[in-house]
Amino acid sequence: MHTSTKQKHFYSRAGFGLPLSKVMTPADSLNQQTTLIPLTIVPSPKPDYSPDTDAEMTRKKLKQKQSELIELNITWFNQLTEPDALIREKMTFFWHDHFACRSRIPFLAQQQINTLRTHALGNFRDLLMAISKDPAMLQFLNNQQNRKDSPNENFAREVMELFTLGRGNYSEDDIKNAARAFTGWAFNPVNGQFIVRPRLHDTGIKKFRGKTGTFSGEDIITMLLEDKQTADFITQKFTAFFVGEIDPGTLNSLADEFYNSNYDIQKLIATVYTSDWFYNKKYTGNRIKSPVELIAGVQTHTAGTFNNPLTITYLQKTLGQVLLQPPNVSGWPTGKEWIDSSSLTFRMSLPGLLLNNVEAAFDAKDDGDVNNDANKANRANQISYSVDFNVLANKFTKASSSETLDSIEDHLLTCPASSENKKLVSALAATSKDDTEFIKKAFTGIMSLPEYQLS
Amino acid sequence: MSTRRKFLKQSALATAGTMLLPSFLKSLEANPLLPPGEKILVVIQLSGGNDGLNTIIPYTNDLYYKLRPQLAVPVGNVLRASDALGFHPVLAKLKDLYDKGYIGVINNVGYPNPDRSHFRSMDIWHTASDSNEYLTTGWIGRYLDATCKNCSMAHQAVEIDDMLSQALKGENIKGMAVMHPKKLYTILHNHYFQKISKGAQNHVDPSLNYLYKTLAESTSSIDYLYSKSKIYSSTTTYPDNKFAGQLKTVAELINSGSETKVYYTSLSGFDTHVRQQPQHERLLSIYAESVHAFVSDLEKNNRFQNVLIMTFSEFGRRVTQNASGGTDHGTANNLFIIGKNLKRKGFINDAPDLNRLDQGDLIYSVDFRSIYATVLDTWLEASSAAVLNRQFNTLDFL
Repeated sequence: MHTSTKQKHFYSRAGFGLPLSKVMTPADSLNQQTTLIPLTIVPSPKPDYSPDTDAEMTRKKLKQKQSELIELNITWFNQLTEPDALIREKMTFFWHDHFACRSRIPFLAQQQINTLRTHALGNFRDLLMAISKDPAMLQFLNNQQNRKDSPNENFAREVMELFTLGRGNYSEDDIKNAARAFTGWAFNPVNGQFIVRPRLHDTGIKKFRGKTGTFSGEDIITMLLEDKQTADFITQKFTAFFVGEIDPGTLNSLADEFYNSNYDIQKLIATVYTSDWFYNKKYTGNRIKSPVELIAGVQTHTAGTFNNPLTITYLQKTLGQVLLQPPNVSGWPTGKEWIDSSSLTFRMSLPGLLLNNVEAAFDAKDDGDVNNDANKANRANQISYSVDFNVLANKFTKASSSETLDSIEDHLLTCPASSENKKLVSALAATSKDDTEFIKKAFTGIMSLPEYQLS
Repeated sequence: MSTRRKFLKQSALATAGTMLLPSFLKSLEANPLLPPGEKILVVIQLSGGNDGLNTIIPYTNDLYYKLRPQLAVPVGNVLRASDALGFHPVLAKLKDLYDKGYIGVINNVGYPNPDRSHFRSMDIWHTASDSNEYLTTGWIGRYLDATCKNCSMAHQAVEIDDMLSQALKGENIKGMAVMHPKKLYTILHNHYFQKISKGAQNHVDPSLNYLYKTLAESTSSIDYLYSKSKIYSSTTTYPDNKFAGQLKTVAELINSGSETKVYYTSLSGFDTHVRQQPQHERLLSIYAESVHAFVSDLEKNNRFQNVLIMTFSEFGRRVTQNASGGTDHGTANNLFIIGKNLKRKGFINDAPDLNRLDQGDLIYSVDFRSIYATVLDTWLEASSAAVLNRQFNTLDFL
């Protein structure tokens, strides 16, 4: 594969598409050291959002909470396309889907993203332990209610079904016993920190996957990591997300390596991105972008700015993927599941809406939750997105218009446009009055093709 | 060849051009529709968790008045329908349908291990899953999958919205979301999109092929719906709100003879944690008046006997009112079935038992999937076991 084609594939999977500048080789990108600056939108762990006897006060408090959640969503979205931490941020996005969680408490939501970002390229062992002790997750999976006298199995079940082993690789007895080991795992709402409540913890003998002992929650997680099935499951999920369906031989050797490296995530990623097989044609240009990937992709490809930040939440909501609001603990849909008549129409209209700043004719669905401010994202459907077309013109204008169109298509598409579609784009661009408009129409035309839905 | 078939053939050809008809468009031509039949299902979703206890009032129950000192509807205002239950006073139009024998109310509908999160509970209702099971397809989508193996027409299940709900997404077939046929028609008939769609070809890559297939089907389906929507324009007066507008669109399509088997609509705002009364009354009256107009419109056109309307919400609300004059998320709730020839009408089962609560919430006695199963087997003549992945007991209201 040609170097630039290789780079394009790397950027479309490891990031959100080829950026306009500072394009690096996969190796350089992997070696990039970027300091992590944690999100600090919500400074205090304990703002008081509790209902007040005064209804007006209750409303005010809810409003503040909602605006913090929205700001968190927008800030994190912008972080995703940060060119200096491309691989880390895309991996954080992957882990957010893997450890899918909704928190209504802004501080806890923020703390969880920071945890995911801290360990995104680190060690899966540390990541799993940290997320299992993460207050937002403990709350989401009802572990606050998991007590010696009345165990709640939700947390234990999802840790095994979704986070480590995968469905069918454990018994109901394993769940019961693990749930007992996790009793008392909770958090302190005052400082938002993990605690074990000894009086609620079941110190009795548990039987777990053939072993017997007075296991703690940590013991359960350690035993789950000792099981090679966890490495198999995570490797499978990782490759399905970033590569596609790979052959069993390659998958097994990757999983072996991941397990033998003691769950080194960075090493797993490096092996994939520096391999030859990752760049095989059968894995390129055929993955349907998720909504966040599509929006982040447009932003990356055009280096544009959302002048009205609420546009970012409106688009996430209308396309069906809102960061911090996965549909359930099993995460977001994939592939074809994103595409139906209406979503495809909106997706194909999106570049036109963004590059031409017209009002969107689509309303986001209201999920009925009075406390979900994303429902009010409709107000942002007056789209304001700025692109410096002169920068694009400088970069892509060539001696002839057909060469210019080729260079733009090469920048935007990971699977080639048919000759009919090339003609369509060319005819559209030919109606331009000047070079800048030519670039604008060419970008809009190519990004509106079904091919642009693929990465 | 029937007019409909001819129409589909023409629209498919018009979309694709005659030279290179890709196989997915050939299938549009072949036999793309569900088995014939006149029965139509209209689903109404009340989003946010409707307070069922302040919708159908247990007006003889002292506990109801004790647990809701400010929120309870005074006995004298209740529109009495049985010796235990009555309608909220703003539901006079619904009571009218009840008196005509058009309504069946099923109490205590829910599912085991109820989830009190909006998203998750709605997800459970849409996918018809257990509460610890995660499915990616919805029950209406799976109905399309199971009943119409080679179907490729999205317009057979239509949601009146800009976004398609999980309920209408099957593995192979998905319904379509159309807020108004003309709007989507205009967007898809944008000059550029039309040309892309016309150039649609089969692609080796399954993802790319799926994208072009969806585009071609969308165009065919919206052409169909748009042409239908022009046949009949409603003369019934509907209330002036968005929900009534959705039902009016549905009535126009039904009265025009559209092949659509399932329509999906929703009314949102039922998450009444704070100062519930004015907001809840406003929503209930929008619901009752819009549905009443809808039924009249269908009756006027002699279509009502073909239509079954099912209204649900993702959960009911806590029995005890909260400190802010509202109610918090609950569990089991009532569900309305509206139709002309119901086998069982009125209150189909017992009123909620306020003496027996689980952590302050009603305990379900009817699994919502039993109602889905009844509608699928008896009304839509499908196999509920295939759609719901297991056999649920059916009820006898149809």
